[in-house]
Formats: sequence, C-alpha cells, structure tokens
Amino acid sequence: MTDATRLAELRQKFGRVPEGPSDPKPGTVSPREAQPRFRGLESGHRACQGCGEALAARLVMECAGPDVIVANATGCLEVFTTAWPQSAWRVPWVHSLFENAAAVASGIEAAMKARGKNTKVLAFGGDGATYDIGFQSLSGMLERYHNVLYVCYDNEAYMNTGIQRSSSTPHAATTTTSPAGKERMGKRHLKKDLVSIIAAHHIPYAASASVAFPQDLQRKVRYAMGIEGPTFLVIHSPCPLGWKHDSRLTIDVARKAVECGLFPMVELERGSLSNVMPIRQVRPVTDYLELQGRFRHLFADDPRAEEERAHLQALADYNITTYGLTGGDPDNADTVGTAAVGRGGHPAGRLRP
Amino acid sequence: MTILTRSAYGEPGTSLDFKTGNWRSTEKPVHIHAKAPCHGACPAGEDQQAWFALLQEGRVEAAWRALVAANPLPGVTGRVCPHPCETACNRKALDGALAIHNVERWLGDEAVANGWAYPVEEPPADAPVVAIIGAGPAGVSAAYHALRHGMRARIFEAASEAGGLLRSAIPPTRLPRAALNAELDRVLSLPGIEVTCRARLGRDVSVEALAADHAAVLLAPGCQEGRDWDVGGSVPADHHEGLALLKEFMDHGQFPAAQRVIVHGGGNTAMDLCRLMKRFGVGEVTLVTASGLPGPDTATDDLINVVPRELEEALEEGIEIIPHATVNRLIMRGSKVVGAEVASLKKVPGTDGRKKRVTFEGTERVRDVDMVIPCIGEMVDPEGLHSWINRGYLRPSDHWGTLSDRIYALGDARGDRGTVAEAIGDGARAVAAVAARLNGGEATTDTRAELPASDLNPVYYPPAARSVAPKLPVSERTFEAEIEGDIGHEAALAEAARCLSCGNCLACDNCWTFCPDSAVIKTAELATDGSFYLFDLDYCKGCGLCAQECPTGYIQMRPE
Amino acid sequence: MREALEGSQAIARAVALCEPDVVAAYPITPQTHIVENLSELVAQGDLHTEFVSVESEFSAASVVLGAAATGARAYTATASQGTLLMAEVLFNIAGMRLPLVMTVANRAVSAPLSIWNDHADSMAVRDSGWIQLHATSNQEAVDTTIQAFRITQETELPVMVCMDGFILTHTMEPIDLPDRMAVRDWLPPMAFSRSLDPERPLSLGMLVSPDYFPEIRHSHHAAMQQALAVIEEVDTSFHSRFGRAAGGLLTVEGDPEAKVGILAMGSTVGTLRAGMAHYVEAGPARLITLRSFRPFPAEALREAVEGLDCLIVIDRAISPGLGGVLGTEVAAVLSQSARPPHILNHALGLGGRDIPETVYVDLLDAGRDPDAPRFSVFDADMTKLAPEDR
Repeated sequence: MTDATRLAELRQKFGRVPEGPSDPKPGTVSPREAQPRFRGLESGHRACQGCGEALAARLVMECAGPDVIVANATGCLEVFTTAWPQSAWRVPWVHSLFENAAAVASGIEAAMKARGKNTKVLAFGGDGATYDIGFQSLSGMLERYHNVLYVCYDNEAYMNTGIQRSSSTPHAATTTTSPAGKERMGKRHLKKDLVSIIAAHHIPYAASASVAFPQDLQRKVRYAMGIEGPTFLVIHSPCPLGWKHDSRLTIDVARKAVECGLFPMVELERGSLSNVMPIRQVRPVTDYLELQGRFRHLFADDPRAEEERAHLQALADYNITTYGLTGGDPDNADTVGTAAVGRGGHPAGRLRP
Repeated sequence: MTILTRSAYGEPGTSLDFKTGNWRSTEKPVHIHAKAPCHGACPAGEDQQAWFALLQEGRVEAAWRALVAANPLPGVTGRVCPHPCETACNRKALDGALAIHNVERWLGDEAVANGWAYPVEEPPADAPVVAIIGAGPAGVSAAYHALRHGMRARIFEAASEAGGLLRSAIPPTRLPRAALNAELDRVLSLPGIEVTCRARLGRDVSVEALAADHAAVLLAPGCQEGRDWDVGGSVPADHHEGLALLKEFMDHGQFPAAQRVIVHGGGNTAMDLCRLMKRFGVGEVTLVTASGLPGPDTATDDLINVVPRELEEALEEGIEIIPHATVNRLIMRGSKVVGAEVASLKKVPGTDGRKKRVTFEGTERVRDVDMVIPCIGEMVDPEGLHSWINRGYLRPSDHWGTLSDRIYALGDARGDRGTVAEAIGDGARAVAAVAARLNGGEATTDTRAELPASDLNPVYYPPAARSVAPKLPVSERTFEAEIEGDIGHEAALAEAARCLSCGNCLACDNCWTFCPDSAVIKTAELATDGSFYLFDLDYCKGCGLCAQECPTGYIQMRPE
Repeated sequence: MREALEGSQAIARAVALCEPDVVAAYPITPQTHIVENLSELVAQGDLHTEFVSVESEFSAASVVLGAAATGARAYTATASQGTLLMAEVLFNIAGMRLPLVMTVANRAVSAPLSIWNDHADSMAVRDSGWIQLHATSNQEAVDTTIQAFRITQETELPVMVCMDGFILTHTMEPIDLPDRMAVRDWLPPMAFSRSLDPERPLSLGMLVSPDYFPEIRHSHHAAMQQALAVIEEVDTSFHSRFGRAAGGLLTVEGDPEAKVGILAMGSTVGTLRAGMAHYVEAGPARLITLRSFRPFPAEALREAVEGLDCLIVIDRAISPGLGGVLGTEVAAVLSQSARPPHILNHALGLGGRDIPETVYVDLLDAGRDPDAPRFSVFDADMTKLAPEDR
C-alpha cells in the first residue's frame, strides 16, 4: 500500500477529509514500496548498528503515521535522521531545540485546532530532552491538555553528546560524567520515576514500553493515538554504544530489563495504574547487568560492587512489588507478558481489560 | 551540485540516497535453510518441520500430502516407529519433544477416514516397470515411490497377504489390523501398482528372470530365517526363537507353557514378546539386554532400540528389564532349562578405536527360569537369493541399496536396518536411484546441515506441554485392543503449534519487526516456501539483531 | 474611526484585525496588557484564535514556532527578561525562516530589576536574524503590526515590532484602527512555502554540515537585504489603502538645510519632535527616525545624512565597554560615505529615565561642544556616583 492510499484510507475512516492526495507514482512498485506497513522512518538513516532508538521510532511511526506531524527534540534521533539534504522521515517533521519539543508540538496542535484539522501531533525526545532539559515544557503541554502524544526514547544518558549521565541514567551505571573509580561506583543517584510524575498531571494515558515487546509497544501507541488529549509513552531503547553491549543484543538487553523488574511496563490512566505487563519468569538483575559494559564494575571483586548489585536487585524487587509485576491474573503470562511468535506474524496483543 | 533549499529543509525519504550498507564490516545476515533435526533423524526421509508448518496454517490435507511425499504409510509408522525424530527434536530441552508420532498417526487416519487421494498419478501404460520382491514396508514404499517417479510397480509377495513383518510380527495392540489394512489397501490399489501374492522367490519367480524384463529389481524379502543360538554349547530341547514364537502366537494365539521366562535381546520383537507373554499369564518376564535404558548418561548408540513408549508400557505392565547384561550360561537339568547365569556387560572402546562388548567377571548371578528366549535377530531366507547373500544378508554397497547394475536391496534384508521407517526410506531411495539412472543422472540427497538447538532463540516459544495420547489401563490390555489411542484433531493441531520450525522460516516477522534500519523487506503475508523476507543489503548495517532474534535460527550472520 | 485606546489594547486590537490562528504568551514580569486584551477578545468571541497560555516565554516562542511551521498565522508578545529567555528560540525561528510576528514592549533587562523602558532587550537579540521595526507612536505601532503580518509572509522572515514599554504600551491615545474588512482585503490569506503538511511531508530544522552552513547564513543575510524593499513597498501599499504610512525604512523631518542631525528610534522621536517645535532658538536640526533597525537601511541612511556636519545618534541601550549599539552601527555604515558627518552617540532614558523635551536643546549644545565625548550616558548624573564609579 502506498503512503498516499493509506493516508486517504485513514482519513476516510476517521473522518479526515483528503486534501488533494497525490496519486501513487505510475510504473512498477518495488518490494520496498509494497511493504504492508507505513514506513514513517525510512532506511538510510545514520543510527549506529543495533540502535534501539531508531527501532523504537520506526515502530511508533508504523502505527502512528502517516497523518501526523512530528516535533523532534535535539538528540540522536534528530541528528541521525536528518543530515541535510537527506531526511529519513516520510511525515512532516520539525526539529527546533533540545528543550522545546513539547512546546513546539503544542503550537502545531494549536494550529491544527485553529484550522479544523485532525492531524495528530507527536513530540519526540530522548531522556535528556524529557527527564531533564525539556521537562518544563512537557509539563506545560500536559497541563494545557494539548492533543499530543509525547514519546520519550529512553536510552538512559546523553548519548548524542557523548554518553553523559542524565536523570534517567540508572543507579550505579557508568557514563562519561559518572565514571566508576576508586571513590565512585558509577551514578550515585536514582533513575527519575518519570512515568509517575507524568501521570500525576492526571492526563488520560501514560505508559512505559520497550523495544523488546513491539506488539505491546504498538498497542500502546495505537491506544494513545485514539485519545483526544495529552498522552505520554516512554520507550526503553538500548544504546549499544552507550550501554556497551554488542549491537545484536539490543532486544535481548531490553527484554531482560523488563524481565528483571528494573524497567517496569506500566500503563496509567488519569494517574491510576490500569495495567502492567506481567513478568512470565522473573530473572535476577545480574542477567541484565552482565550484558552491559556500563555495569562491568559491578562484577569486580569488591564489596561495594556486591552492595550495588544488591541495591539494584532491591530496586527491581521494589518495582515488582509496587506494580504487582508478577501478575495476579493467571492468564496474563500467556498473553501480554510474552514475546511469543507464531507462524505468519505475532499473535495480536490482547485488548485492554 | 546540490542547491541549498531555503533554511535547508529536506524532502521525505531522501535518506534512501545514503546507502548505509557499506557500514557492514565483516558479516551479513543470510537465510540458511537448515534441516530441522527431526527431518535429519527420520529414516523414512520425512520433513516433519515442513508438514507441521502446514498444520500450523490449519491446512490438514496439505500437511498429509507433504507427509506422504516421503512416507505412504503414516498411519502405520505413527503407531510403530521408535520415532528418532522425537529424540532429535530441539524442543526436548524446553518442555518436551513434539509428539510427532501421534500427529503422524492422526494425519494417516484422517486421510483414510476422509479418503484423501495420494498425490500420485497413474503412470502411462508404457512406463518403465520395477519388479519388487516382498510387500512389506520396504516393498510397498518402493512401489508407491515408483508411481511418484512416473514408473509402474509389480510386487511379488510370498505370503497370502501384503504387509510383511507389519502383519506377521507386530501385535495388533500396537498396530490394529484395520488400520494396517486400510492404509496398505489404499496404497496397493493405486493404479500402476500390481501385487501378486503367494509368489515365492526361487519357486515362482527368479531375480534373473525379473531383471530381464523390468527396469530394475528391488529385493525387499525381509528376514525370515532364525539364527543359530546356543549359550555355552547348550541348546534346550524346547528351544524357541523369539520372532518365530511371536509369529506362531499371532497365527495360533498360543505360547508354550512357562512360569518364568527370560527374553534375551533388545529390539521391538523382544519387547512385544515380553509383553504378550506377561499378558498371556507368564508370572515373571525378564528382559536381558546388552543395551542401556534411556537416561542422561546413556549414549545414543547404547540406547535400547525400542519404541520409547513401548518401554514405558512394558515397565507399567511389570516386565523386569536388566540392562547392560547378557545371558552367560544356561543351567540345564537334562535338556531342560532351569536357570540362566546373567552377567553384566558393557560396550567399551577397544584398542582399535571401535567399541566392543565386555562381560565383567564377578557379576554373574543365576536366575531360576523355565525358558530363555533369544530375540537376537533374523537373517534373509536364502531361497532364490543364493548368489546375492553375503553372511546372511544382502549387504548392498551403498545408501541407495545397489547390489548390482539394476538390482537393489531394501529393508531388513540389507542387514543394517531394523525399523519400518528405515524400510520405507529404503523404498524411496532405491526408486530414486532407479529413476535417476533411467534419466541418465544420479539421485541426490538432502545435504543441508541440521540446525543445533543452540542456534534457536527459545524466548519466543511460550511454554506448552507435550500432548499425551489416551492409553488403555494395564488391566484392560488384551491381545487385540490398541493400547495407545488417537490424540484427536484439537491436540494434533496444538501439538503442531509447538513446532519450533528449526532452521526454517516461521514467517513470524521478527526480522522485519526488529530491523532498526528497515533493511528487511517482507515478500508475502503468509507463505511456506521458505523465503518470506529479503535483506536489503544497500541499507543493512550488519548489526546482527535479526539473526539474534530469529527464533528458528533461520537467519545467521555469515562472512560477506 | 478614532478611539481612545491604551497602547497595549490598541496592539491587541490590531493583532485581532489580522486574525491570527495561534497566539501564545506568558506574563513575564514586567508584562504588558497585550495578551490580556487578546484573551479578552477571545473570551468575547471577537477573535477566533487558539490562545495558548504557556508556562514560560521560552515556550511562548516555541509554541508560535510550531504553529508558524504549519503555515498558521501566529503571534506572540514579550518584553525584557522574556525576550532573553526566548533568545535561543528566536534565533531558531529566524534560522528556520518562519513567518511570525512578535511585539516587543521594550524594557530594561535586570539586574538590577527595572520594569521600565529601554531597548536592552531587543538589542540583545539583534543578531538573531529577525526583522526589527521600531514604532514611535501607538498609531505607528498599530499600523506596523498590521504591516508586519504582510511583511513576514512576503519575506518568510520573522518580524519583531518594537514599541517602548510603558511609554507607549501604557499610554492612552486616540487611535485610528482600520476597518476589519479592509484589513482582511489588504492582508493576503496566510501562506507558507514549507509548511508541515502530511500531504507534502517536509523535514524542517535539519542538520547542516560546514559544506553548506556559510551558504545558509549568506542566504539569510541576502533575504534580510531584500526585505528592505518589501518593508518600503508594504508601507507604501498600506498608505495608499489606509491613507497613512508608518515610517518606511526611515523618515527625515526638520530643517533640510540644518547641518546637525539627530537620529533616534521609538518614542524618543516624539519627545525630540516636540523639543524641536518648542525650542526653535536652540537652532535647526534634521530629525531622522530609524524604523527598520534590522534589516539596516544603509543606503537610505547615507542619503538621509547627506549634507550634515554632525549627527547625534540616540541609543536607548548600552553595550558596556563599547558604548551605544545604534551609534556604533550608524558610524560603521556612514564610514563608507564620501563625506561622513561627525558622529556623537548618547544613551538616553535607560531603565525608564524620563526624557524631557529640553533634551533637544542639551543635545544640540553638546553637539557644538568640541570637547564633548563621542559617547556618553547623556542623562547620567555623576554626582550620584562614588568618585571611583564615575
């Protein structure tokens, strides 16, 4: 299906009036053009090998596009997709600054509203742009109730600028500004509990997702897209370069983050926990930590390393208890909490209860 | 020269001009098309993974057709085969091997019940004809595969009915005659196959005469001739050889009277005999076998060669099994056996590097028994085959069964076979060789490598217990009623869903879903030909995610 | 029809006549009544616009940036600290060549805290790439605001309309607001060549390598130069439609034979005009009103000063360590003239210090004094300073 047909179809479905759609180009259709999904983020972008953020953005665009406008904060995603004159985006896209994606998105949304258009507005930012520098404009956007889906691609440090710690960097992880050494065991502080803060804005929907669970991720995007009002999604997106793991392990690492409880997969509606992705089989945090160079110092023969491992385990256990991640519904483990595959594609994610 | 756009805006998707494929350093992803271990292990040459794939799509008849492309008797093998496919199944390490034999049997029975047509056509009247000696599983398979290759088949069977050992030596509790007859009849009545019963080799037909007016002669006479047996020079007066005893029982329903019996051997005949005798009323039945029982420390080549569930059922029924042992000596009172000296034995590496059996001194013990029955295998009846027999068997020179120019040996008569599945495979192979020779070429085998379990990514397979077939309780087991039941439609499809699709594309979309670079291109929504996705190497950066996350090991990173 | 309106209110009404799609603003202290008045118009149903009450000036600029990028007509207003908080976004808006109008109610920048007028705020962002037009009166501010919407559309450069905080924004004057239908007729519907639109999904704000960065900046500079003509044309067109011009690039008045000139921007011009009328005995002078500070009308300025021996440039801002910003720029531009006038530069009215009409006399006196400094904070009273601070 061409992008134009898909656009027309969507507008038909959602009552959006086509405004002179361009006809698909005549001639043969290449296999790439004939893909049965919308490629909002095209090949040829310059993300590193195995980039979790590129994957996350691709997954989001697939089910959000094409009738969207994206406001993108400064960061890896912005840089690796838009080295002029080559853009990897197939949706209208604007990058302004590091800290204002939410505000720019607010303005775009206000303009859509003023002009009676239903095009959905997306705001993208990394964890630096979201947890830290753009936090205020995000809060403002949520409070003003703009019809924007804000997606935070969380790779837990300032990767674009050279792997500096952010407020999203996990406790005890090393970055270039939280190195481990004689006096320090990596980052001294905790990872900010952003989802709870976001949820406290009493917005319709806030959720966490992971690239390791694409069906769940896309279900959450679709759900958020259907909501008229501010919604928020944070996607755990491993960075092979910054986390120091092999590029082929991106999904494995992301999956283990969820399975050990360090990255809880939760959904909050109007500030209340409405759903969690249960963990089928809880793993020890070391399964997750040992894959990554940023935690290598935690495996040294050093009592402090042992203490920090225990600390991280305690944090994971806390998440499991607080969010009930082992699940009360016996059916959960066989539906949402799995990465199951079947012949001919993944089984559809279960509808929300 | 690129002209600057106002404020340097960009047009959509123009990053396609930037080919990131040259970022790959050493490796690229490839589709390996490996052989699933079940397929690799199947002596009949079935590709279980392939027909499970069709079942997963709910295409039951198509699955059966794919199955019978290799094995025309799935209803039979599903009941009697020791299923090395299940032993090889990679799911074994997760939550139990697939119950392949149950599904195979179910498919065979479904085909009979629904009258599905075998995927063969009648060859032209002037097509080459192969002559086949013996209508046992090897001969029947050969005849069927002859049709698949466009040849006609003429079978000569010495007995009054087709079936060979399936009929003469396998008790109906394992293979009900109705099931056997239905499947055999369907195959043998296919146009192009002609069966002549009561035609004995050496009396009614001769290999030489057949060779003169047939495209080839396929010898599948089976093994009918008991071996000479004595222990320390003693042969009891009432000596009975196992297979003969079994056949006799099947014909007349009688065993010689005995209270305590030792069966010496380690195959299905020994097992069938033990169980039947126990059911017939023999108080103590002991199986003495040189092989080991299944267990973590048992080497594959040391494992007792019986259908695993038969072993379980035998133990349920109270058969005693002494593994790694042999009967050293018979204790005779006159010409009658009153006891047997049993000693421990094991295969150990010899000085020439080959394993040899060593009996350990000091392990001898005496059992009081009325009868010792050897089940140590049979040899080819030499009648009409004298010029081909070599130390009791036909012993062909190769995998295809070649004895000479147009004469092939199949099945048990080869001397290196022991299962129905091997016999069926021999039929297919010999005919393939004949057909290839007629076409002036050579037959080929599937040389793909087997996929090891370590290449799978097991996280994508949610736990699913192996389905269990209903079974008659011990108290209800007779000489006629089939012990293991049908698993049924639902369980068969559930079992199919457990197939990991080792080394073959599952069309699960993982590679397509996980590629951060959209360098995996989907080619069809659903297909089974093994190539659903293309790698767009113009953009693939070689990160290896697709290979890592491929559940089936179908994608692997290989040097450029 | 003339109405007595407070400056802020007049601007709000002018903005409303232009029917913006999106208005965003934040009430930073010191604030103006512009956005309050706009809110009131929205509340009363006199203005159909998406009014976004943001959480900071930074977001105010960002919101209108986003709106403008979609091709919407967008407006914001700021002053003082707010302008500086916006600074990063202002550079970004201009660099992206987005059409946008913003009122700057010029005020001093802290510390120390001052809520009163000077030009330190807009001067601080003079290199952002925005068009900066200064109004001398509320009528001019109204007319310039309306013109700004047309200029920004034609040039695809953002326009900052500068008006003196308090002095203009909080002053009641009779204002002639054009008729709504006439403005609708005169102002073409909003159009933007690179709008964010799913039908033509462009990428804006891309990364540019050194291979093209100088060209980007050159093209921006060239666009600003070309905007000089647009600013003049739009004023001319406005004049012919509404019977009133708003000052073109610059205006010249006073005695054409005078050898002394005074150049100023904003409301100071009104004070000087009154001084010139009252204190004829102080001598003739040529009064030059610079309306377009960016782009800087070098050619027009060279013509305007022809025949002058001395030009006194009034700055309402100071670049500490250098002197006046405007004065320095004027001197630089005129240095290329065949016979440049002697240039004196004085900062006046910083932080809201009242500029009396007599300043006209004092400036001319100072101009005649051969020992007068080339730059001074003209109204600074040295006696208020400790000796070491003078």
